[in-house]
Amino acid sequence: MSDAKHEPQTARNAPIDPRLLEILVCPLTKGPLEYDRANNELISRKAGLAYPVRDGIPIMLPEEARQLED
Amino acid sequence: MGADRWQRTRAAGLGKLRRGVHIGAMSDAMLMFDRHAVRLHRDRAVATVGQVSDVLREAAERLLDRLDDTTRRFTRALDVGGRGVVAPLLRARQLEVVSCDLSPAMAAGNGGPAVAADEEWLPFAPASFDLVVASLALHWVNDLPGALIQLRQALRPDGLLLASLPALGTLAELRQALTEAEAALTGGAAPRVSPFPELRDCAGLLQRAGFALPVADLEEIRLLYAEPFALMRDLRAAGETSALRLRDRRVPSRALFPLALSRLPTEADRVPVALRLAMMTGWAPGPDQPKPLRPGSARASLADALRPGPGRLD
Repeated sequence: MSDAKHEPQTARNAPIDPRLLEILVCPLTKGPLEYDRANNELISRKAGLAYPVRDGIPIMLPEEARQLED
Repeated sequence: MGADRWQRTRAAGLGKLRRGVHIGAMSDAMLMFDRHAVRLHRDRAVATVGQVSDVLREAAERLLDRLDDTTRRFTRALDVGGRGVVAPLLRARQLEVVSCDLSPAMAAGNGGPAVAADEEWLPFAPASFDLVVASLALHWVNDLPGALIQLRQALRPDGLLLASLPALGTLAELRQALTEAEAALTGGAAPRVSPFPELRDCAGLLQRAGFALPVADLEEIRLLYAEPFALMRDLRAAGETSALRLRDRRVPSRALFPLALSRLPTEADRVPVALRLAMMTGWAPGPDQPKPLRPGSARASLADALRPGPGRLD
């Protein structure tokens, strides 16, 4: 994970389409999301969740999101 | 205003759920569909949905025909659950399209920017789109008014929602044949086909969700199957096998489906299947839309207009 930057751009860690960043919000809080480029995750501070981006597709499903440590 | 309150209570409810608080049998019993099963059916259908794309495309084209009835031009569209069929049709109309699907794999098959999203918990900022198209995409949603409210909020003022749902009468022959066959075999019958809404409920739903100028009309697509098993194969290929929460999870008797399918009415050796689709259109409220007059603002009396007088027919 720490050397994510040096991995080749495979489909798995393909970045999110920038057009999506403008319109996506957290599905639970409808609050803003931060894009964590290194981990390829969309972070909702208010919900305490990180939504993964797989194959360039943001997975905006709470049950697949990672719980942030408080 | 009402919608805001609704959103807050929904968010609070799920917050509790995530911390593992039991939400209780009452609220569980109100859920009609098993959303996890819906997701799995759609995941599995990715490989087969191409087999039924002609039917899905026919339904989508009839829905998109409504775009030709308006002089408005649209630029940014959201495709909800279009299964690889709707997004290309919208792009052919020069629209910028974002697709979403409950299944990430199905979302990926739309050939453009895509998002895995639950229709009951949409992740789109207010006023992100001026057109939303949900072609045969909302009939496995538990909270349909809630999904429609969120779609309205994702629309700009004067944005258009086009949605189609299977209406009452769809797969009616299959429902009846399955019920009769199961009753004959076991003396009971489990629900195996979704309940579908009546057409008049559909316009009401749009109105409840805050859409202006709501309209629902019926389109019928008639399919003819050479053999009845092909109908079941197509439903599976489309990801449309039953996700009723109270479905009978036991493996049904081997005789059930052959018996039920043999009972389907035939026409000239073919099995006719009617898809009765409620085509729904509604507009996100905008300042320039026609509105009803304020009650009491009329200047002519209805009683005068109705009073018999010279030159009027009594």
